[in-house]
Amino acid sequence: MTVLVRLALLAAVLAVWEVAGRAANPLLAVPPSAVLPALRELLLLRSYPDLPASLLLTLREIALAYGLAVAAGLACGFALGMNRLVGRAYGPMLAALYAVPAVVWYPSLMLFFGLDAASKIAFGFLLGFFPVTLAVLAGIRQVNPQLVTVARAYGAGPVRVFASVMVPAMLFTLIGGLRTGLALSVIGVIVGEILGSKRGMGALINHAYGLLRTADYVALVLVTLVLIVGSDAAASLVERRAKRWTE
Amino acid sequence: MTTMTLRVRALQVASIAAMLAAWEGVARAGWVDPLFVPAPGAVAIAFGKIGRAALAALADTLGKTAVAYVLSVVLGVAAGLFVGSMRLLREVLNPFVIALYGIPKILVLPWIVLVLGFGAAPAIFYGTIHGLFPILVLVMGAVRDVDRTLVTVARSYGATTWQLYWKVLLPAIVPSVLAGMRLGLVFCLLGVLVVEMFAGVRGMGYVMSAFANGFQAPELFAATALVSAASITIVLALDYLNEKLSHWRG
Repeated sequence: MTVLVRLALLAAVLAVWEVAGRAANPLLAVPPSAVLPALRELLLLRSYPDLPASLLLTLREIALAYGLAVAAGLACGFALGMNRLVGRAYGPMLAALYAVPAVVWYPSLMLFFGLDAASKIAFGFLLGFFPVTLAVLAGIRQVNPQLVTVARAYGAGPVRVFASVMVPAMLFTLIGGLRTGLALSVIGVIVGEILGSKRGMGALINHAYGLLRTADYVALVLVTLVLIVGSDAAASLVERRAKRWTE
Repeated sequence: MTTMTLRVRALQVASIAAMLAAWEGVARAGWVDPLFVPAPGAVAIAFGKIGRAALAALADTLGKTAVAYVLSVVLGVAAGLFVGSMRLLREVLNPFVIALYGIPKILVLPWIVLVLGFGAAPAIFYGTIHGLFPILVLVMGAVRDVDRTLVTVARSYGATTWQLYWKVLLPAIVPSVLAGMRLGLVFCLLGVLVVEMFAGVRGMGYVMSAFANGFQAPELFAATALVSAASITIVLALDYLNEKLSHWRG
């Protein structure tokens, strides 16, 4: 029942969009029926032959940004979580920085790293880093202290305690943070590309928009959305696996 | 103050001082290019230079953010109450709302600017859709979880629909509304800044990208510090207000 209503609603939205799109200025709005041919042209590499290269570049930026964010987030969370003084001193400072809308750092990153991939990677890293670090900090607080005491008593060092006792015990919280981190790294890279780049999906989107090729713009947005939704679906699959494993 | 808090404060102050000193030292020694990483001293001087103009730009940005914020709180709470309280509507719309919350809105930004032009309108609109969704999602969930008995009792005592929303549901979800307001604020500011960077003619986002494009690193750093400080202050003030309110609620 609800599924039917949902489909009907979706159909209604598309119908309204079609009617409104046909009536509107074609430079400002395009009906779905005009998007489909544009999407075909795009996927057949006629309108934008450098689509595969752009997709690959964006994917590589995301992979690098996320990899760095996970590594640094784990290390930083470990450093802050294992020492009480350090954690209480730097934890609130980190939280205060989290209260700043991250995009304020982007102009500085662009000045520092230039218009190419590096500034996008840096911004994706910055966005992904916080949720991973904060998840590690929250996770460490959840771990049963007895487990840690026993491991210490048997002679495990802090790194060993973290890797063998704490990470498995807080896996679910950690995976949640890793998923949020991935979503934010993806957003960071794409925001970076749209705010200023010469290559990548964001550059293509800006190009289509700048030339008022609105149908191509919508098609490019749809392709980018598939990339975003796909990455989140993969992360959610991993999350479900981990949940089953911890239960 | 306990010894621990004292040591924590000491460590915080010492690390910030050490960081600034190291930064100044590295910049003076010429290990980094001052074109990209200016010394804190240079940033302070730049702050004095741009101060008045930057404050005007900040006021412009905060003004747009305030409008967007009021719109997102009012619309988010109203829509969340309405949709959340109707079972069928809620179940139908929930996946759409979650999906709209999750997808990066930056993808529709070029289109918004195309339709609304440059200036305050796209910034307010984009800031509003940024702030609206976290509030909407939280309020919808909170209304769903309100104790049904409260509603049944109010109904059986003859409460009108208006009274039901205003006197029963809204007070019951205040904590979620406050949590949403805290999240929504940073999102609104983010949205406004992004539009100003993408297609601004005024405001801090525009000023910062102009400094970046002009390679004016000291001015850029000063402007970034100003926006960050303003944002942290606003969020801390909201947190403080929240705490006061929760004391009052008991």
